[in-house]
Amino acid sequence: MPLLVKAQSFLRNLFLSRRVEVDIDAEVHSHLEMLVEENIRRGMPPEEAQRTARIELGGIEQVKEQVREKRIGNWLQSVTFDCRYGARQLRKNPGFAAVAILTLALGIGANTAIFSVVYAILLKQLPYAQADQLFNVFEAQPRAGIPAAGWSYDNFAELREQNHIFSDMAGSNQHQLTLTGRGEPAVVHTSVVTAEFFAVFGQKPLLGRVFLPDDGKRGAAPVVILSENLWRSSFGADPKIIGSSINLDKRTFTVVGVVPSTFRFPVLTEGEQLWIPVVQDLLFSSWMPQRGLHWLQVTGRLKPGVSIRQAQAELDAVSTRLAREFPAENGGWTIHIVPLQQDIVGNVRSALLVLMGAVGLVLLIACTNIANLLLTRATSREREIGVRVTLGAGRARIVRQLLSETAVLGLVGGLAGIALAYWGVHALSSLLPPDLPRVNAIRVDNFVLGFALLLSAAASMAFGLAPALFAANSNLQSSLREGGGRSGESRHRRHARSFLAAGEIALAMVLLVAAGLLLRSFAKLMSVSPGFNPQHIVEADISLPRYQYSTPQQWAAFSDNLLARIQSEPGMQDSAVAVPRPIADGCVNMAFDIVGDPASSASTSRTADYVSISPEYFHVMGIPLFSGRIFDRRDALSAPRVTVISRTMARLYFPHQDPLGKQLTFALPPDRGVAREVVGIVGDVRDVALGQDPGPMMYVPYAQAPFWGANVVVRSTLSPSSIAATIRQEVQTMDKDLPVTDVALLPDLIDASVSQPRFRTFLLGLFAAMALVLAATGIFGVISYSVSRRANEIGIRVALGASRGTILRMGLRGTLALTVAGLAVGIPCALAASRLLGHMLFGISASDPAPLAVVTIGLAAVAALAGYIPARRAMRVDPMIALRYE
Amino acid sequence: MNTEPTTLLQGTLDLLILKSLVAGEKHGLGVSRRIQQITGTFVVKPGSLFPALHRMEEECWISSFWGDSENNRRAKYYRLTKAGRKQLEVETTRWGRISWAIAQALEAL
Repeated sequence: MPLLVKAQSFLRNLFLSRRVEVDIDAEVHSHLEMLVEENIRRGMPPEEAQRTARIELGGIEQVKEQVREKRIGNWLQSVTFDCRYGARQLRKNPGFAAVAILTLALGIGANTAIFSVVYAILLKQLPYAQADQLFNVFEAQPRAGIPAAGWSYDNFAELREQNHIFSDMAGSNQHQLTLTGRGEPAVVHTSVVTAEFFAVFGQKPLLGRVFLPDDGKRGAAPVVILSENLWRSSFGADPKIIGSSINLDKRTFTVVGVVPSTFRFPVLTEGEQLWIPVVQDLLFSSWMPQRGLHWLQVTGRLKPGVSIRQAQAELDAVSTRLAREFPAENGGWTIHIVPLQQDIVGNVRSALLVLMGAVGLVLLIACTNIANLLLTRATSREREIGVRVTLGAGRARIVRQLLSETAVLGLVGGLAGIALAYWGVHALSSLLPPDLPRVNAIRVDNFVLGFALLLSAAASMAFGLAPALFAANSNLQSSLREGGGRSGESRHRRHARSFLAAGEIALAMVLLVAAGLLLRSFAKLMSVSPGFNPQHIVEADISLPRYQYSTPQQWAAFSDNLLARIQSEPGMQDSAVAVPRPIADGCVNMAFDIVGDPASSASTSRTADYVSISPEYFHVMGIPLFSGRIFDRRDALSAPRVTVISRTMARLYFPHQDPLGKQLTFALPPDRGVAREVVGIVGDVRDVALGQDPGPMMYVPYAQAPFWGANVVVRSTLSPSSIAATIRQEVQTMDKDLPVTDVALLPDLIDASVSQPRFRTFLLGLFAAMALVLAATGIFGVISYSVSRRANEIGIRVALGASRGTILRMGLRGTLALTVAGLAVGIPCALAASRLLGHMLFGISASDPAPLAVVTIGLAAVAALAGYIPARRAMRVDPMIALRYE
Repeated sequence: MNTEPTTLLQGTLDLLILKSLVAGEKHGLGVSRRIQQITGTFVVKPGSLFPALHRMEEECWISSFWGDSENNRRAKYYRLTKAGRKQLEVETTRWGRISWAIAQALEAL
């Protein structure tokens, strides 16, 4: 019963507030009148009676306010009132509202967009069951500078059998196979895996089954599992696919399962892929018996309760044992374990965190700006606040009112920001580097929305609290007496605003210096010479099915034939074959020994990037010859083996001697044990990425070291599409089942290889520009407000004969103080922050003074301008108008 | 009459208001004067009285209605409800316990 009545009063207070108000008003008035009557009865004269009664009552409005505060649901009602009042205030000051909301929306929007990327890439669980138990395990050879390599199959099999820490482990590797028999031949991304693979990831099939242990045994029937996307795109989502046969590299496989498209491994792969057991792959199964070959990427699921430290300890014991048992293959090798998530996002993690930090700073500056605007407005609202306090509002009540108002602002700004974030995520997705992992998971979902709302709430607290506290603490008498305070504002508040503006300069400085460093580094990166001339070069990838083209002689014959056909086409004389292609394919690193060199032994391994090329390659690419000769047609399969090395290789492995005539031997096919003579030295090339310094490189004639693919490079002024068409046409006339993939202009490939630095440079630059604009508006606001507050004083000064220069100096002095303080704080902060960028910089160091100097001067100039405009306005103040206005 | 205001102990205002209404309905000033009369010392200012009255009404201890005063003036009257009488008993017992305890404590000294 009482609860019901309470609810009733709550509702009445809320919805019939007008009636409740009239009621209390009548009650207090009748009380007052009765007091007066009482006093008259006691014999007071009427006026005296009135006065005494009013003193006893203590103020009608104050009593009413005290009653209101005690009512049920009072807080809700007052918050509603305050919010409505706040909204009205915003409508009444459209200029202020627009600036504040826009500023906030930019801050919230940028933060939400970047957060959606950070969330998707760094925070969201990987799409595997209990992904936090998954770890990648690497073999490493620290002495040879190999930080993380794959496993040899035998080592993996032993570890899997004998460990006590993993509930299961699986190995995998990737390459491309050609899918034929269904329309156009297609190159399909193929994961070559051990039989436990799907079990380790806890992945269930969509159709059919995953691999069973028997599928991994030698002699098992060839089976394949398709990804859902491939099943849909290439097999029309055929429900009877299980049990049917497909051709991979001209070999027949039976489809046993289809796996949902949400499962991707590695995470970067496109949705279309397939999986086959290692034993069924010609290349990798031939590597299985060799303990010295490190090629299998191993992922394991730790048993529940096993820590990474325990795991590492056991792995250390395993590597010691392996090194003891197989010193030739495992001597010097160690094992280390990395959480799968960390391994996947490792290289973008710090860049993303830096961006998140930068965008956070932008929001901080935006909040500072709004706080400044609010402080300005609070000063002009002093009189209103004074009246409220006089009418009985407590300090808490005033703070609540002002905070409710800023909450309205925060909410509107936050909603606008979220709208901006949707657009921003859309815009970002076209900017994101293609090699960023998990890009497909980036979206504004509920979690990101929650983050945005929380952020706007926090932001409105941040920019609302200080002005609210200032307002509530203001001196009642002075604010009323000053009559709205034309003649100056409280020193505290002016200091607070200058402090905030100086803070903005310091924050903007941090961002600008960081952006300056990245920009300078990016400019260096773009101007670095790759060592070849990429203009007008088109690269195309043709890989040969190894069943049909099984011998090196066939590979060499195919590429000879193809190259001759392409070169005979008009405009395409400058063509060559190269495996791997520069930039597009990365590099193949090969270990070798130098014949007759006593330092040459198993303990110190020498490696170099290894490229197999046709003789025209150096000419086509514009790589200069420094000594000796380049290849020609005489360097055939039957001729003595030769090699051409890069200058860095000559310097590194043949110091103080002439490398020409020296002989190299290799431990691996295709040249195991055969000596190659160095016949020439050519210029260095950045073969992997522009940002990577050229390492030692060696070139061998394609005729002597053919691959099962003929990757073509063509220098031609024809359009890339017509070059691609010509290559396709020539390939198809030779073999209609051969696909030509990855046709691309080399400049585009180089462009793509710098997409990550470009992405972070662009975004950080954008944020820094936002920060600069916000900080400039902040300074402009502070100075122009203080000038307008001092219009009266300036008028008097001018009337008393102050020159315009004096007035201008007066205005500028404020700006100068702010700016110097901001820069003094900003420089050490910027220096500290730029250290975080160290490893992202190319060609310059984090302490590079140029960006700091440029930013300091630039920021000072912008600040001076932002202060000069209002100061000049002050200079033009007409004393008559200024004084009359008062 | 000693009109020197004595600060009310926290929680005693409710008790006094309830007690003052036992004899019958009263308006705000009547409650105030009655408390002054029966305690001889407490002056309840409107700034404390009205919030308390409204709060107690929301608690359903008292109910209100508009009536005419002794001088034919419209005034808001308050009267005890059943819940209010029960509350008065509760408050009285509580106060009895407190004052007895305080008295004991003072004697012990």
